[in-house]
Amino acid sequence: MSFLRIHAQPGRTAIWTLSWSLFAAGIVLYFYVAQQRHRENPDDRVMPTIAQMVRGFSDAALKPAAEEEVQAASGSSLLARFRTSMLWTDTLASGRRFLISVALLFPAVLLGLHMAMFPVIGAFFLRFILFFDKIVALSLLPILFIAFGIDELSKIMLIVIGVTPTIILDTFNLTKSVPREQIVKGFTLGASDFSITYRIVFKQIWPRVLNSIRLNLKAVMLFLFAGEMIASTDGLAYRIALLRRHMGMDTIIPYVLWVALLLFLVDFAMNKLNHKLHPWFQER
Amino acid sequence: MLERAIQIDNVHVDYPVAGQASRSVLNGISLQIESGEFVAIVGETGCGKSTLLRLILGEEKPTRGRLLLNGCERWQPDRHCGYVPQKYSLFPDKTVLDNVTFGPEVTAFGAWSGLRWIRPLQMRLFREEALRYLRHTGLDESDARKYPYQLSGGMQQRVAIAQALIMKPPILLMDEAFSALDSATRTGMQRLIKKLWRESGTTVVFVTHNTREAVCLGTRVIALAKNGDGNRGSSIALDLGVPDLDFDSEEIDIGKLVREVDRATARERPLVYN
Repeated sequence: MSFLRIHAQPGRTAIWTLSWSLFAAGIVLYFYVAQQRHRENPDDRVMPTIAQMVRGFSDAALKPAAEEEVQAASGSSLLARFRTSMLWTDTLASGRRFLISVALLFPAVLLGLHMAMFPVIGAFFLRFILFFDKIVALSLLPILFIAFGIDELSKIMLIVIGVTPTIILDTFNLTKSVPREQIVKGFTLGASDFSITYRIVFKQIWPRVLNSIRLNLKAVMLFLFAGEMIASTDGLAYRIALLRRHMGMDTIIPYVLWVALLLFLVDFAMNKLNHKLHPWFQER
Repeated sequence: MLERAIQIDNVHVDYPVAGQASRSVLNGISLQIESGEFVAIVGETGCGKSTLLRLILGEEKPTRGRLLLNGCERWQPDRHCGYVPQKYSLFPDKTVLDNVTFGPEVTAFGAWSGLRWIRPLQMRLFREEALRYLRHTGLDESDARKYPYQLSGGMQQRVAIAQALIMKPPILLMDEAFSALDSATRTGMQRLIKKLWRESGTTVVFVTHNTREAVCLGTRVIALAKNGDGNRGSSIALDLGVPDLDFDSEEIDIGKLVREVDRATARERPLVYN
């Protein structure tokens, strides 16, 4: 049983096999159960078969979203058809909201940095942010819809309210964890408050802040989906909520996997970029 | 007459303790350090050596008393003092060369030092000077492109010394700078700092808990000792002038000096050996 010990050193093949085995088991189990259900009831809509899901996904990814585009898309290339499809228009709508929300996290990072660096700013904001962080963002949803209407602003505000306190407090803690010696050293080398904040502290914490944003991407998506499901006319979550009414599991499941894949790719790209841009950063 | 680099007059440092009387750390310290001296401050753990260093650095304020550097009071750390701590002495996100050029850059370019690439000529001069300092501390050009995590502890401290000395500070403060190094590296670093001190004429204040290191390095050894059970803070137990010696010198009995300083630091709390 040495392979179960702390000092076990699995080879590359073993690691590859182990890391994919749960995916394989999940897929096999799903299709086995789906097949059993369809054998008992051929009209079962809860667990679509692989053929139904392929059909549902290709309809979503290759058929035009709007009636007026049907004419234009017929006979055009696969890429052109994908760009007029329901999946692509939904992805674009959700992606735009997602990017605006992630961009709005940057001021939160700067606020956290300044709160930790400058005691007066910290004293002014910290208690309020700590309280604000405890407010359950989803409970504010009705207030946001009343205050900002049911358009884009309320959905983006929901994400901002839900995620920014965490990012502010995370950046605050990361800044506080920079050893005092580094700041003192900066002063003895002639650096000003501005240079110490941005050229010493911010540069040191930035890779960790990026990691923190990476870990919060799922929370961003969660609030985005909540907003889209309740009040929207497009977006990935809007489509999932719409298809739920028709028990469209053959499209819902591929949509859920598509969202997970997109998030996984964004996370993967951010991690790779983080280590490429900061070769000194050792944390994995 | 030599200019007085550091003047400490009857300094007390007390720390407030919740629900109790404040705890005294330093109790009436008075000390004059002339320009160009190499002063080693030695004492037991917790006797206030590092507190005294932070006072000189301007990082901490005395509860009572007065502290002047070259005749002026200072309210926060600045270029007047170079600083080499035991740990975290280098910026981990910068290469060795960027660590050493950081001081000259921020001094020359101020808040716009991030835009250093618009001054290539000046940056080249800074790099050349940094390389000169690195060579002086025993590093070569191939180390200049490395990040701190790629260097050994001894090499990191060499870079930290180059980083501090390139600013030509009138006072260099070293806080247990070699404590984390192995014996052989430590001896090499001790020889290096002594050589650099002789060449530069900078005033050095070197805090250590190692009595032998203090005696071998300093031209003056200040021993701090706790008063009573430590609740009354520490004060100076011994102020000893030591000849400027080479490490392998046999002119004086270093062991005798070490014993003398050890007796002073343990004045009220003698160490018992079984």
